[in-house]
Amino acid sequence: MSATQESGAGAVAGIAEFLEGLRLGLEAGLDPASAMARAAPALPEHLRDLSERLGEALEVLARRWRGEYREDEWGFDEDFAEAAYPFFELLYEHWFRVEAVGARNVPAHGRALVVANHAGSIFPFDAAMMTVALMKEHPLPRWPRFMLLDWAFELPFVSIAMRRVGAVPADPRNAEALLSRDELVMAFPEGSKGPRKSFAERYRLQRFGRGGFVEVALRTGSPIVPVAVVGAEEIYPKLGELRPLARAVGAPFIPVTPTFPWLGPLGLLPLPARWRIEFCRPLDLSGYTPADADDRALVLDVTERVRDRIQEKIYENLIARGSPFL
Amino acid sequence: MAEGTPPRRVVVTGVATRWGGELARALERDPAIEAVIGIDDRPPLVELERTELLDIDIRNPALSRLLPTTCADTVVHCGILWYPEPDKPARTLHDVNVIGTLQLLTACERTRTLRRLVVRGSAAIYGCEPSAPLFFTEELAGTMPLRTRFQRDVAELEGYFETFARRRPEVDCCMLRFQPELGVGLEAPLARYLSLPVVPTQLGFDPRLQPLHPEDATGALVAAVRSRVRGAVNVAPSGAISLSRILRLAGRPSLPLPYPLFAPAFGRLARELGAGPLFADAVRLLRFGRGVSNRRLVEEVGYKPRYDAAAVAADFAEGVRGRGLAAPLDLADLAERAARALR
Repeated sequence: MSATQESGAGAVAGIAEFLEGLRLGLEAGLDPASAMARAAPALPEHLRDLSERLGEALEVLARRWRGEYREDEWGFDEDFAEAAYPFFELLYEHWFRVEAVGARNVPAHGRALVVANHAGSIFPFDAAMMTVALMKEHPLPRWPRFMLLDWAFELPFVSIAMRRVGAVPADPRNAEALLSRDELVMAFPEGSKGPRKSFAERYRLQRFGRGGFVEVALRTGSPIVPVAVVGAEEIYPKLGELRPLARAVGAPFIPVTPTFPWLGPLGLLPLPARWRIEFCRPLDLSGYTPADADDRALVLDVTERVRDRIQEKIYENLIARGSPFL
Repeated sequence: MAEGTPPRRVVVTGVATRWGGELARALERDPAIEAVIGIDDRPPLVELERTELLDIDIRNPALSRLLPTTCADTVVHCGILWYPEPDKPARTLHDVNVIGTLQLLTACERTRTLRRLVVRGSAAIYGCEPSAPLFFTEELAGTMPLRTRFQRDVAELEGYFETFARRRPEVDCCMLRFQPELGVGLEAPLARYLSLPVVPTQLGFDPRLQPLHPEDATGALVAAVRSRVRGAVNVAPSGAISLSRILRLAGRPSLPLPYPLFAPAFGRLARELGAGPLFADAVRLLRFGRGVSNRRLVEEVGYKPRYDAAAVAADFAEGVRGRGLAAPLDLADLAERAARALR
């Protein structure tokens, strides 16, 4: 206790010394910045540390204001993604308490198509949590790109933010172009049918489109990594829909949950369900040629195989997770 | 002219436009080219040494009698206008683009010596869609909704072009789809817009753009005239850059306006910028952006743009920095000085 008191008194003395130094520097005719730099050593350790970190953040900000940052041709902006990351990491660790297994199954280099079940209303929390899982658990992490419903790109602000963290409009041509540049791409073949199903139907996979993701994987020779996400279904239990509002704003659907729209913006807060994400062993398609992408029977067959694997893993992980909220 | 031999007698329409003039100048320098014939109803902007000028409007039906007498083996159509020119007001744009192209193609049908046709078209045919592929390939042109007047005009003249290409299989027809050019001092709406003292942008939107460097615009056109590539080819730099980054690189203060305010404000501004009928296109371009794939240009035409999108923006920024209104506070400088003081 006396130690904290002492360090507290030391800090006050340090700050006083710093202010005195600053005053002397200014009186000696130095400009404020150099006077501050000269007086800084008098500050206590943790304040110096803090000021250093603040300085770093300001430098990044200055760089961005000058336009001196990298942004790839798809609009992905690594600085931005890194700035948003801590928030999602917090959600990952303390709100959703995600347990991720098998992240090593995702190839560390080269193209790969990660395919997962889709749930959790219109916000892509599942894509965000999968990204955090890969960044945290994978020995050689890299930023994945994800396919996002077109509607997000019509919205102000949302479109900018989503593009900067690596989202692209869900179009097979975009997936194909990204994969042929050896990127890691996440796709949700259920599309809006996944999050749109009612709470009673949770964890029952919907139709996997027409198998477009398999065609893309075959054409680009990418392995498919099936992923089972458990927990996203409980964050916004869907009770009904606001159809007229959805039609008015052009949204694919607007859900009614136990908290939304009753609690207003507060209702947008996801419930703190417990999550489990399993990355399965990749499905190797290297035995096929790009021409096999036109083979309907093969495409449908592979689609079903991926779908069955994900469904099976969802049930396994539901049991492994146990209670949804505790 | 046998298959694969270089052009000898070249007709350039729209020789009074910047791009037509530059093409004529590049072709003049090549001794293998016997004659360069320029068609326009105005004198060219650049000085041309040996280009023979034919003073005729391409909308004039007399072109059908005149063109065959030139014995041209190559016709390059640079007469498509994206925005009004000094003596071509906004309302004549549709006429010049659609009727002009139609008259020119009719004249081409009568020119038996013709072996190569290159049209300098526009990537506006793809439109600007939020849900579109981020890089359009050439075969996607027909799949996008036609939303604006200019887009419909381009689609219509491309339709005439395709019919011509089908009817005259011995002519190698090539449609170039250009992304908007951006360069310092370029008399074009995008360059003028980005040189404004305060640049209005759309609140909450940050489009991806592919500005084309003027050097590459001319280079790609010359390369296409010399090649035998058929069909549509996108002309764009590699990569893409967001509008906000261009503005920051150029040190331009921007003024984000919500859409209901942006459209009328920009409508008034568009006339000042010389983009009258392009207004609707420009609003969509500055909202959703547009990217096209330049794979065919690089691999088939064999022209690799020297500047990628970021380099074009940097080059433009270099030229306009310090001009116009400076931001009241240089935030970047302030932050940097604070950062230095804190460390």
